[in-house]
Amino acid sequence: MTDVVPSPRYAARVVGRNALVFSKLWKGALLPQFLDPLFYLVALGFGLGTYVATINGQDYRDFLAPGLIASAAMWAAAFECTYNVYFRMNETRLYDAILSTPVEVQDIVAGDLAWSSIRSAIYGSVFLVVVAAFGLIHSPWALLLPPLVALGGLCMSVVAYTFTALIPKIDLYSYFFTLGITPMFLFSGIFFPFDELPGFAEVIAWFTPLYHSVEIARAMATGPDALVLVHVAWLAVVSAALFVVPVRAVRRRLVP
Amino acid sequence: MPDQAAVAARSLRKAYGERVAVDGVDFEVPPATCFGFLGPNGAGKTTTMKMIYGLAMVGGGELQVLGLDARSQRRRIKSRLGVVPQETNLDGDLSVLENLLVQASYFGIERDTAEARARELLDFTRLADRFEDQIVSLSGGMKRRLLVARALINEPDMVVLDEPTTGLDPQARLAVWRSLESLKRRGVTLLLTTHYMEEAARLCDRLVIMDEGRIVAEGEPATLVREHVGREVLELRVADECDAQELVASLDGRLEGHDFTEDALMLYAPDAEELLEAIDQERYPTESALVRRATLEDVFLRLTGRSLRE
Repeated sequence: MTDVVPSPRYAARVVGRNALVFSKLWKGALLPQFLDPLFYLVALGFGLGTYVATINGQDYRDFLAPGLIASAAMWAAAFECTYNVYFRMNETRLYDAILSTPVEVQDIVAGDLAWSSIRSAIYGSVFLVVVAAFGLIHSPWALLLPPLVALGGLCMSVVAYTFTALIPKIDLYSYFFTLGITPMFLFSGIFFPFDELPGFAEVIAWFTPLYHSVEIARAMATGPDALVLVHVAWLAVVSAALFVVPVRAVRRRLVP
Repeated sequence: MPDQAAVAARSLRKAYGERVAVDGVDFEVPPATCFGFLGPNGAGKTTTMKMIYGLAMVGGGELQVLGLDARSQRRRIKSRLGVVPQETNLDGDLSVLENLLVQASYFGIERDTAEARARELLDFTRLADRFEDQIVSLSGGMKRRLLVARALINEPDMVVLDEPTTGLDPQARLAVWRSLESLKRRGVTLLLTTHYMEEAARLCDRLVIMDEGRIVAEGEPATLVREHVGREVLELRVADECDAQELVASLDGRLEGHDFTEDALMLYAPDAEELLEAIDQERYPTESALVRRATLEDVFLRLTGRSLRE
């Protein structure tokens, strides 16, 4: 077990490195991933939303906006733990250099995941501000969204990191995004509720991190209920349980 | 513990699946010396190095690095090592100075100390005026020197260098050699792999020659040359009609050894000039003859063969 449990001290230095790089690149990196959910909000919320007035008595824009906060965070995490990690691990071989210091594989993975979840909180928070400016937030509980969105981002990061650690070639990401991320984005209850769909749709969605993030975000935007705790627990337990998988896979790859 | 070996390997082994990369090697690296690993590609040099600096798990046998067990004390070992890898793996998102500062952070070195040391190392590797530059703008030689600087940021007791000068021009190689020699004078143990025999002869106090995962020779460079080749070499290109086998037989008693290569005959003797005069040119016509000192290259080629390995 000692080779799986990360050292917070060393993991923090990996976070520090990633944060330093982000502090130089954030202007270029933030904008596209931020515009994406904004387009969805405008096209669907203010376009389609004029035809679909309400969902279950809720204004469609109020229904849509919180889910987009959760998805903005998810996309940020998905990109960070796929392409960015892949390049550091396999192309620039940066991890070989880090592993030649006292930092170990589990510290790198933990540091990368922690950073990815911070990054998803940044993207989620920026979009929260935008949504609030449109007047689509109706509860002060929404102030708790950044850490909650970070948790959703963490869970997404572990899943993406696992994929990255296992794939032999970068081309396989097209499967990850087309068969994994995009359907999850469309069928996690961001755009329409599960009420009119067959029962299995929500069951499948329940097994994805984004579904729980969306439920949390929507609840916090209007005033939460106790169910939020269940979703939080789901994300925390799944993140913790899956952590060993990328650690083992990265070690097999980098320290054979 | 001044006399303790910097590295001690006993029956060290490593296999990747079916392929055996290191097949039971024993060696000891004395502290404060430069120790070399020579061998053709695929001989097991890099794998041996990686087990020492923690990028490959020890497969079998024993490996002690700086008196610590390589299996169980990885963090402690790595905190006292500097590594110059074969492939350049600088952090391309960071500047020259930041590369050193971030590396220092992984060792837990305080910011002020790190900054002072980084400046000193940039002076030492003559990169001081490039400290703000991005990595992409550096030449191959500068990147190598920065890798050396990065390996020294934690003031290591031992520096491991995997082909430190491969691909460099002669001036850049000389610069790397000088910095390594100056490290050696300060008492840092150096461990290096190389394909360049003159590099090994110049830098290494002791070396091993590896082939197919095993050590085939070990010793001081000059001793190895004397033992395996002799003092001088007569390199002959014989004419088609000359029977080389018979020529060698006719020189019996004068030779310390000989090798047939694809296009030449190598004769090893204490005095190659004298040997050349002794050859009966009427019976054994030669196209060209070269008299020279025996080098490590002769030892290397004698022990590992002359044919291409990959």
